Amino acid sequence: MNKFFAKKSSIISFIFIPIIFLWHPNWLGFLGVQPYWPLFWLLPWSMINGSINGLIFGLFLGLILDSLTLDDSFTQIPGLVCCGFLFGRIKFHSSILVGHFRYGLVCSFGSFLCGTLYFLQILFRNFSDSNSLMLIPSVKNILAEVFLTGFFAPFICSKLLKMFKFSKGKSQ
Amino acid sequence: MLGIRRISTNRWWHKKKNWIFFAIFLLLVFVRISKGSIYKDFYYFISKPFWPGQFQKEIILESIDQEYLIKLNLLKKDNLRLRQILSFQESTSTENISAAVISRKTGSWWRQIILNKGSRDGVEIGNIVIGPGGLLGTVKDTSLFTSSVTLITSPESKLGVWVDRIQINGLLVGLGDDYPNLILYSKDADIKVGDFVSSSPASTLLPPNIPIGIVQSIDETLKSKKTAKISLLAKPHVIDWVQILKVSI
Repeated sequence: MNKFFAKKSSIISFIFIPIIFLWHPNWLGFLGVQPYWPLFWLLPWSMINGSINGLIFGLFLGLILDSLTLDDSFTQIPGLVCCGFLFGRIKFHSSILVGHFRYGLVCSFGSFLCGTLYFLQILFRNFSDSNSLMLIPSVKNILAEVFLTGFFAPFICSKLLKMFKFSKGKSQ
Repeated sequence: MLGIRRISTNRWWHKKKNWIFFAIFLLLVFVRISKGSIYKDFYYFISKPFWPGQFQKEIILESIDQEYLIKLNLLKKDNLRLRQILSFQESTSTENISAAVISRKTGSWWRQIILNKGSRDGVEIGNIVIGPGGLLGTVKDTSLFTSSVTLITSPESKLGVWVDRIQINGLLVGLGDDYPNLILYSKDADIKVGDFVSSSPASTLLPPNIPIGIVQSIDETLKSKKTAKISLLAKPHVIDWVQILKVSI
């Protein structure tokens, strides 16, 4: 049983992303905004399994998370697919410490990309209403999300990366 | 002749006791003139520990609550009767369902809550969700055990509302922050900060007269319309229990 969990830890942890996304723990938030949870999983997965795998799982994550949110007009898929593809091109760094901080920066960039793509969809949809008032809360959302994702990424990504490497080694 | 004169030491003002009486007399005169203010203030301090405490306050508040509830029910009946007389649109409330909030996304892009009652409990898409304070949103999606509610702060939300003081309809649009925007398509509308906003009697989505919020600030820069930020009465980020109104409008 333990062997099974060790082998499949990456897939099992994948199941927990939507749960954390729904749980939305307020005590981890900043200005009411949460870190962008799927990136924490997508970064180590793409780094280990490559761009194409990252792209596919970015799509899967987007599909699941879109099903959990009620905004039919907007989708998280483009951001996650781009991030999955880009993260797959990142090489491991020899220095552990630099690697840790790099996860933070990469995830911050990913969160910025996803947030901006989502915001552009909202802007495009509400373009006819010329609703420029949406600009300030949206920028606030993006910045808070970028900060939080970058802050938590070194802790979570390095753990997940270790776990995924271990499970890959076991399964081979 | 001189020998029988009273000696000065026997004068009344030489007696200490008399001076004490005189001082008390003066004090009482002062108390009388000041209408007992010193006495009352003194009483204020010594009676302070025996004032009605928290317990008594709760009893009184409970009584006030009951009084308000009775008044509210009477007013509701009156309102229904008057609406029938005027042939206004009326809401026929069949049943309310209490539900707990099991997931809350109120601060980010997504403004939604998930409740622990679903289609199994009779919740339907389009049902109205209210919390302590007033309107929270509408049920957008149901599963067997849960229902997802789009909050009125969501950019997806657009509702017809009513500003009671100036008797005008407006459109409440969520902006993705905590303060939805009220749009009045009339430049002359005399809206003021503090005006009360409720659901519109003309709305086809909501039953009338559900409290929504209070005007917090007004923006008059636009040429053809007035917009105002609304502070919601029901706070979705802290509410744990809500009521789902099964209404047919």
